[in-house]
Amino acid sequence: MSVERSGVPALARGFLARRKRVLVRLGAWSLLESAQTFLGGYGVAMALDHGFLAGHTGTGLAWLAVAAVAVICGGAATGGVFRGLADLVEPLRDGLIRRVADRALTEAIEAPSRAADGAVVSRLTNQTELARDSFAGLVLVARSFVFTMVGVLIGLGALAPELLIVVLPPLVLGLALFLATLAPMAARQRVFLDADEALSTQLGAVAEGLRDVLAAGAGQSVAARTHALIEAEARAARVLARWAAARTVALGVAGQLPVLLLLVTAPWLLRQGLTAGALLGALTYLTQALLPALHTLMNALGAAGTRLLVVLDRLTSGSRSALPGTPVAEKGRPSTERGAPARVEIRGLTFAYGPNAQPVLRDLDLTVEPGEHLVVVGPSGIGKSTLAALIAGLLAPDRGEIRVAGRPVAPIPAEPSRRRVLIPQQAYVFTGSVRENLLYLCPDGASPAALTATAAEVGLLPLVHRLGGFDAPVDPAALSQGERQLIALGRAHLSPAPLVVLDEATCHLDPAAEDRAERAFAARPGTLIVVAHRISSAHRADRILVLDGVHAVCGTHRELLDRSPLYRDLVGRWHAERI
Amino acid sequence: MAATDRTPDGASAVPPATARLLAGAVRHSPGRTAAVFLCSAVAAGVAIVLPAVLGRTLDLLLDDADGLHGAVVLCAALIVAEIVCTALEALLGGVVTARSAAWLRRLGVDHLLSLAPHRAGEHPPGDLVTRLTGNVAEASTAPTTAAAGLAALFVPIGGLVALGVIDPWLLAVFLAGVPLLIWLLRAFARGSSESVSGYQQVQGEIATRLVEALGGARSIAAAGGSTRELGRILDPLPRLNAQGRRMWRVYGRAMAGAGILVPLLSTAVLAVGGVRLAGGHLTVGELLAASRYTALAAGLGVAVGGLDALVRSRSAARRTAELLAIPPMRHGDRALPAYGPGRLELCGVTVLRGGEPVLRGVDLVVPGGATMAVVGRSGAGKSTLAAVAGRLCDVDAGVVLLDGVPLTEIDPARLRREVGYAFERPALFGETIADGIAFGPYRPRPAGIEAAAAAAGADTFIRLLPGGYAAPRATAPLSGGELQRLGLARAFAHAGRLLVLDDATSSLDSVTELRVDRALVHDVRAGTRLLIAHRVSSAARADLVAWLEAGRVRAVGTHERLWEEEEDYRAVFVATEALGGAPGTGSTCGAIGDATRYSAGDSAREGM
Repeated sequence: MSVERSGVPALARGFLARRKRVLVRLGAWSLLESAQTFLGGYGVAMALDHGFLAGHTGTGLAWLAVAAVAVICGGAATGGVFRGLADLVEPLRDGLIRRVADRALTEAIEAPSRAADGAVVSRLTNQTELARDSFAGLVLVARSFVFTMVGVLIGLGALAPELLIVVLPPLVLGLALFLATLAPMAARQRVFLDADEALSTQLGAVAEGLRDVLAAGAGQSVAARTHALIEAEARAARVLARWAAARTVALGVAGQLPVLLLLVTAPWLLRQGLTAGALLGALTYLTQALLPALHTLMNALGAAGTRLLVVLDRLTSGSRSALPGTPVAEKGRPSTERGAPARVEIRGLTFAYGPNAQPVLRDLDLTVEPGEHLVVVGPSGIGKSTLAALIAGLLAPDRGEIRVAGRPVAPIPAEPSRRRVLIPQQAYVFTGSVRENLLYLCPDGASPAALTATAAEVGLLPLVHRLGGFDAPVDPAALSQGERQLIALGRAHLSPAPLVVLDEATCHLDPAAEDRAERAFAARPGTLIVVAHRISSAHRADRILVLDGVHAVCGTHRELLDRSPLYRDLVGRWHAERI
Repeated sequence: MAATDRTPDGASAVPPATARLLAGAVRHSPGRTAAVFLCSAVAAGVAIVLPAVLGRTLDLLLDDADGLHGAVVLCAALIVAEIVCTALEALLGGVVTARSAAWLRRLGVDHLLSLAPHRAGEHPPGDLVTRLTGNVAEASTAPTTAAAGLAALFVPIGGLVALGVIDPWLLAVFLAGVPLLIWLLRAFARGSSESVSGYQQVQGEIATRLVEALGGARSIAAAGGSTRELGRILDPLPRLNAQGRRMWRVYGRAMAGAGILVPLLSTAVLAVGGVRLAGGHLTVGELLAASRYTALAAGLGVAVGGLDALVRSRSAARRTAELLAIPPMRHGDRALPAYGPGRLELCGVTVLRGGEPVLRGVDLVVPGGATMAVVGRSGAGKSTLAAVAGRLCDVDAGVVLLDGVPLTEIDPARLRREVGYAFERPALFGETIADGIAFGPYRPRPAGIEAAAAAAGADTFIRLLPGGYAAPRATAPLSGGELQRLGLARAFAHAGRLLVLDDATSSLDSVTELRVDRALVHDVRAGTRLLIAHRVSSAARADLVAWLEAGRVRAVGTHERLWEEEEDYRAVFVATEALGGAPGTGSTCGAIGDATRYSAGDSAREGM
């Protein structure tokens, strides 16, 4: 896990600084807990000294009743504590969910071709929940410890200030020891979690690819690598166990040593005038309040604390990038009418997917006239979709220039969708009504008549009827790929953009439906660029661009049959001769 | 080598029971496990004895009596013993857990790798991983949990007994308060499960919306409206917040109840104890001990909860044991004849899946050096035939011979050097693209890797990746067709006397497929090829076609002969297309195009 780690403390400070009032409220409610702790020891001491030992049983019971009332008040305060806790924890969870969603979306938009991140749902649900629970546990326990300590120390001081001289040194020593184990332990915990994750990843790959491991005869090397990862994980766990032992010693020093020291110094304290009740009260503080509080603190800080740190790291690492603006925010005159068909001019276009990679497109020159219908064909992986993405501004050229309607294409965030529409192979349909889905690319809305006309032209009406009309809700998961593509096509058809780019947007339609949809687009005013999935698309085009990785040839069907051997191959003028 | 193959023939094939698995983990580190038990027992004993000794010391102190020195020393010894024992318990417990987990995992992984993929495939991959990670982690805590759990159980019981020994009245007060505790805990459980399910539902809504948007990332990028999308995804967030606050309220109520109960019980015990003290039936030290024992005894609920962890450990171990109970594949140690041509023979091969025959008495011979295409409708048993041909699974009846040697008798290392596979959806391994291709029984030289990639039509796009062959495999953006070509390259790089291509070119466009087919014949080491084909063109280019129908061989012959003589044969390709039998969008269209061309000579609709 190679994430930026310094960010979490700063983020935490900022988060807490913005919630001072919540913290104060939480502290105020917690003070009742101090009072409960205080009376727990002090009441016992008084009950003994002034009651049971002095022969006034009633006074003794009265003091214990006071302590009991304090316990009940403390319980009542728990409600307030939990309200304050919710005010801290729920905003944290909201913020984490926002971050996770924002980052996942931003990353997906920046690199749409990358496979979807499968871990995002786990991050959104399991990991934010882990953070929420750990944080809440930590706040509860740390708060409880601090206010219990306050109650104990005030109580000891009230019983006899000398008690503090005896109790404080071992307590401070133990806490210091404990704090010293925190940082190294967190580091070891991270090492362990990293090792665990590496092992899980490897096991996942093996389980998924068992057939391939066997078929490739790589069982031994895979086993060796997995064993090494298992051993690394076990090693990290053993180191962690050593630190857990060190933490236990610190707990013992902080919690048990004061008891021992109190017994050793008791004769001296009694000579100083300490009463039997005060001694019992002091021992009650140490064994009944301090020891349990230390126990929970160490367990919580050890487990939940490091877990929280690691999860927060994972959830917040990576820069929070500003999201591109909405199309509605576009500058310029708002217009509901369709723009005039746009000319697309490409000059000397070169693009590679990285500095060390060979260019996918090299020195491409191409002009698509306003209103023209161009089809791009070529073998898979040759750069057709890359060209579509460049024209749509999803990618920036390394060299050269693309102009749409005379203006250069800007990288996507700045340029809104009013001028061009790109429909990719994976149709995007979201939970919402059919109408909302179809108006997605119409920033200014569209008339019901236009909506119906578009639906009729692209062949969407049967689906709309089946779903229950334009205002019926759409459950994307219940639609077939082809139905989703139809909705996306309807959306593009309805949009006022003067340039439409269809990137294999009809691949899940049957040939007849594809034909109908492409004809609807050809009839639509505007320039149309189609990255073809089937060669049949070429027959409907004004001109065809053939990409073969080295050359780009553009012309009509007839011209290309003469000029491009690849085109001849594609349309099937090659023979499947025996080879 | 008939149906006897899968009969368990040795002790190791008998499923190891859960208990035996846990016993095995204990046997893996016996001394340490015993030490953990010892430490826990000592620590528990000290926890029970210490309050009484403390009380006695307090009494001696207050009375200024003899023996104080000895009592303080005893206290010190007990306290030090408790600290040391708990620390040792933490250390040794952690080590034992780590060792058990590693042992169980090694066992599990080795077993997993010895299974026939279809047997392991009865469990989804995620389930297998859980059995080897989370389940093992839980199972391996069993020794320490048992030790700690027993001790944790003894301490409250000891506290209860000690309370009764000090004064029966105190025990009576305590026992009267316990029903209240149980009632409160029950009230909590009711409220919480209800609010949790509401919370999770809203969480699921947000996750669904996010996944939807991620699937449409390209569309969203093109529309330039991601702020709007984020708003749509996060729309249910305020409801989640409200549900969350409700959860804390419910939880807070329960905590308030649980939080006051133990202190109130303690106070009640102290009150009764105080009265008894005033009556001279109790000393101050005994009162101190009694209040501590009350707290210890109140921990009984927690201790019983700890036993629950032991039950979980056991059921986790059972899940791991189930994995180990799947019988592995057995191997022989025979070699293959040197320089064999790669003649593949299937004699009376029957394969059952879920009791139903997938292949029924298949007899088939692929002559050495020949290319045979296997065609048939979806569900005809083509992929099973491919799996049987290179022993990715065993047959239920019959025998498969490679150059005359039954596959089950061949030394597995030699078999895998001679038989290669490429799949429709290959799983790749290794850090880089080059590692992914080199993955196999041996690592080919870089030139060999690049030649194999070139033959598979992968060289071009690999060079377009940032870093080329050294590009990290896991993050490289690969389409289905590119993945297939890497899988082909992996098979080509290790080509032996038999290559099985199980629909391994389905996502390639027709031009690339043709190039790969040519390279397979001309550039890859010569040998026998068995290809599962959906497209007419692939069948047409093969020397022989085996036509499967419902698990039987319907006919074997050249494509031309079958095409001309058998009307049903032509229908196979149309049916495949109609059923969507050829996955990958390109292939379906390819099949149409090919079929039309062959039947009508129409050249118009070639797949892209």
